[in-house]
Amino acid sequence: MVSQHGILLAAGIIFDHFGPLVSKVCRCLLRHGALPLQEIVRRLDLSPGQVKNSLLVLIQHNCVQAFSSPRGGGDKTATHYLAIFDNILHRLRFSKFLSVIRADIPESEALLEGLLHNGRLTFDQLVERAIYKVTEGSIRPAREEIRMNFNKLVYAHYVERCPKPEPFVDPLQDEQPTSTRKRVPKTVGKDLSFDKKVVNTAALSDAEKFSEIPYITEDASHANDSPHSAIAGAKRKHEALGVDEELNSTIAENEVLWRANFEKFIFCLKKKFCAERKKPKLRVGTRPIWEAFFEANLTNKDDNSVTSPLNGILARVGQKEGGTSMTIDHVTRVLEELNCSPSSEDPDAFTLDLSRIVEASRYEEMESLVKKKYGQEAFTIFRLLVTQDCPVETDKIIDTTILDKQIVHGTLYKLWKDDYIDSERIASGTGTGNSQFFVWRVKNTFQEQFIDNLYHAALNLRQMINYIIELLLEGSKDETKLRHRKNILILALTRHDDSLMLFHDF
Amino acid sequence: MPPRKRPPQPTNASETPPEVKTRISPPSKLCAAAPPAPGPAPSVSILPANILGSFPPPEREIYKLVFSGGDKGMTQTDIRIKMGMTASTLTKHMRALVNTKGVLKVVTNVHKRGEKIYMDARVDPSPEITGGTWYRNGQLDSEAVASVRLRCLDQVEKLGVATADSILSGISRDYPSVGYSIEQIRDILRTMALDMVLEEVRSTGVGEFSDLRAGRVCYRRGGAPQGGMMEGIPCGVCPRIDECSPEGVISPSTCVYYKKWLQMDF
Repeated sequence: MVSQHGILLAAGIIFDHFGPLVSKVCRCLLRHGALPLQEIVRRLDLSPGQVKNSLLVLIQHNCVQAFSSPRGGGDKTATHYLAIFDNILHRLRFSKFLSVIRADIPESEALLEGLLHNGRLTFDQLVERAIYKVTEGSIRPAREEIRMNFNKLVYAHYVERCPKPEPFVDPLQDEQPTSTRKRVPKTVGKDLSFDKKVVNTAALSDAEKFSEIPYITEDASHANDSPHSAIAGAKRKHEALGVDEELNSTIAENEVLWRANFEKFIFCLKKKFCAERKKPKLRVGTRPIWEAFFEANLTNKDDNSVTSPLNGILARVGQKEGGTSMTIDHVTRVLEELNCSPSSEDPDAFTLDLSRIVEASRYEEMESLVKKKYGQEAFTIFRLLVTQDCPVETDKIIDTTILDKQIVHGTLYKLWKDDYIDSERIASGTGTGNSQFFVWRVKNTFQEQFIDNLYHAALNLRQMINYIIELLLEGSKDETKLRHRKNILILALTRHDDSLMLFHDF
Repeated sequence: MPPRKRPPQPTNASETPPEVKTRISPPSKLCAAAPPAPGPAPSVSILPANILGSFPPPEREIYKLVFSGGDKGMTQTDIRIKMGMTASTLTKHMRALVNTKGVLKVVTNVHKRGEKIYMDARVDPSPEITGGTWYRNGQLDSEAVASVRLRCLDQVEKLGVATADSILSGISRDYPSVGYSIEQIRDILRTMALDMVLEEVRSTGVGEFSDLRAGRVCYRRGGAPQGGMMEGIPCGVCPRIDECSPEGVISPSTCVYYKKWLQMDF
């Protein structure tokens, strides 16, 4: 279940991108979970046409997944629509996704941009767009060249085939009757699992998702060539404008819808985040090895670890300053010190568990906020409670932190009042001199609360940006200053989004 | 959660450094065991019968009762209930035992500063009552704590990676007049690790740990502070965030913190 401010933020993003009607439909779906068309119409008091069009926009932009589900006791089914919160939030970070491609496959950036702008497109539409975007005087790209750049994206898993449009999902299998889905969901775990189940059922297998567009044989391409747009000197001559003719011959390929694979981009950003996060903590001489480890990474078995071959690491270490003098033993030892362990599948490769860095970073963020908000003593106490697996008694906190009793009591009260920590009263046994003890622990829901505050802050930043845009439209005389403030806010939102990703996506 | 265990008695009071009181074991070790039953310190025995015989019977009984409280002592309320005396009578006897005869003493409980605790004058009060090694007269000796922290940090900076033992020997060498115990140093190092001034690591036995046996707990300087992504914007540390809503009285467009942050006073 998405938190209150998460819903407002997602609806705000959709409002800015697609307008009020689409935003209203999106908000309704986020609030109430998956709903059929009639139910959305009834709840929003909009015409079926308006809701249908809004849903089409949301589906086109991968923000909603349709699925059919049994209706009543018979064999009849109804189509439900489920808002995909994560994909809506990813719209905040399209610029980051583009920067990933710019660094990795710069020649394919325009293709990805097309997919991000339009949600899902066929290859044919992408070619059309690429040709349309060509500026006057520059060379028009060949279809084959576009196909090659596109296949690079698919091969690297940056782009995938779209999921099934309307898979069959039976909510009863999830022990959740259809009727309850229509109400406001109450339990967090079940909703998450149900949403995930729908997304997973709709997803294609990896082999299908990342199946590239096959290259057209020389003969076939020549058969479809048109002399008007052939590029002189090109080995394989393809039509740039003969899309329709090619569509007939490769209809299966050109009907397939493609979209950006957000998971891959998030993984790339996660990897980058972890690599950067640990850098300031690295000891002298370990930084080149750490960087080389990430640079040498080629493939990964899951989203939580990075595996790099030792040969690749050594090759990259050798290219770095002072790297030539490093022996294999030294590099191996430093890698182990950096928590990179030999891979279980390949003894000549090293694996780093990213989840540990992510977990530590989350705590660092929360602790840092406590320090800023409540001071050094609160930071020490909070860290003690975080590091302890069990509730800690007041006197033990005083003893361990060596802080003044009054300060500890005051700080504990502040943290408890602001819902950072929980306290429990324990009746004392006889002979201890006290009738009761208080034990303290970090609140179970604290992380959820923190994430909700992150959404709230992002929502406020967006609102502030819109407010300044309004002021600009009103024609204020301080236009330069306002533009400057707007840029500050946009930059702050981009940076703040890193926190959102850390807590929600990584 | 079991109640705190009482730390053991100081073994040699004469070696105590000037700025600290008594030596105690680290809190983590103390909390692992069950609390000891109150009782007199092993080295202190009850007053001989001839001295006790010279006391009036009620005072003799009061003394015996307080002595049984050991280093935790006994409050006046407890004594009054157990002896079944009126408050005024008890006060008279207590005054005699404390002031005139000098066999009992009054100690202030660090946890309940208004509460007087009586105990045998020869018994050192439990650190649970005094507050432990870093307390003086019921108050935390912040200066002493700060001074040890600084000395520990100096040693870590000198040594790079150091164990509690090497830090202690370094301090003893540089400041021979102070006599910290290893438990005191460990307590301080633990708080410094909590504050992230130091980093607690286990030796691998190689590289920078080559001089240390693998598996030993060591300390090194903590890295640059991380985090703070949320603090860059006003909402991160806003005390009114719970009252803020897009259309509310407190909203980003009316927010004074945002206006100040963006210097929107034009």
